[in-house]
Amino acid sequence: MSFPLTFWDISLWLAITAIVLLITSELISPYYGKTNLLINKKRLRNVALTVSTLFLITVAIRIATIIISP
Amino acid sequence: MRIGIDFAQALSIIMLILGTIALVASTISTSTILAFIGLGLAFWGAILLYIRPEEYTKKVLLEATLSPSLTTLNQMIQEFAYKGDVTYLPPKYFADPETTKIYISKHKDTSLPTPEQVQKYENQPVARTPRGMLLTPPGIQLSKLLEKSLGTSFIRTDLKNLQQNLPKLFIENLEIAENLEIRAEDDMTKSTTIHAKITKPFYADTFKEAEEPSQLTGSIGGPICSAIAIAITKATGKPVRITDTKSSEDGNTIEASYEIIEE
Repeated sequence: MSFPLTFWDISLWLAITAIVLLITSELISPYYGKTNLLINKKRLRNVALTVSTLFLITVAIRIATIIISP
Repeated sequence: MRIGIDFAQALSIIMLILGTIALVASTISTSTILAFIGLGLAFWGAILLYIRPEEYTKKVLLEATLSPSLTTLNQMIQEFAYKGDVTYLPPKYFADPETTKIYISKHKDTSLPTPEQVQKYENQPVARTPRGMLLTPPGIQLSKLLEKSLGTSFIRTDLKNLQQNLPKLFIENLEIAENLEIRAEDDMTKSTTIHAKITKPFYADTFKEAEEPSQLTGSIGGPICSAIAIAITKATGKPVRITDTKSSEDGNTIEASYEIIEE
């Protein structure tokens, strides 16, 4: 009994989710006009940035692994 | 509307629960597909719960409740026959450092009262004297909301800071308008004029209604123009007058000019 996803699976999932969230956040930004979406846009942007940062961390780990491994 | 929000909340919780169950099941059965499904459901369930709006009121409801109070203010000023200049007094005129009030002189071109004279009537909601009257501006609560959103009082900012931060507060933080441009014009003599252009304001219809009946209300401004005047008077520490307000025919653009009075 173990979790079936590897670290790289999670990294890929984070990348796709980050792209979806960042594009959504940008499209509904109040600077492009008002939208009728009743959601907290500031929170959505924060989530998008957090997920993107998490993905970048996984990338950094991957690079570090490549450099360190012989 | 309440049912809609509750439904959205219930859906988010169901997604979160299903996602968690799928994640647990994926660990037991070592299924990658179940793990991805679980991860997606749990994540989006949590996000949908997190990004739900705090509170929303229908625009028509807001306009219906705000409009009578502006009309009353208008009628009150006409009834008292104070036909002089309308000036937003900075906090230095009052004992409470966060207070800003409007001073309407009885006749045109009269000098402003001294802080000592103003402080006698400070705590009265409508203070009438033979020379003029003190009123609470219609944009006071909106200006407090702007300050709360900014995280500091306008007293601790300056005009440059205000020019940078006010558009962000209007467009991004509170979504009061689609755009706000603030331009300062220093004529190097004795006064500075600030021009504000508000595009697609939230109170467009209310503003038009309130502006039409009286010339005086134009100098007081609607809630948005009044809130900007309060911000300017607090940031500069000088009295401010709204010299001109123009609203486009469709109400989508409001242009207001503010004069900072040098004492």
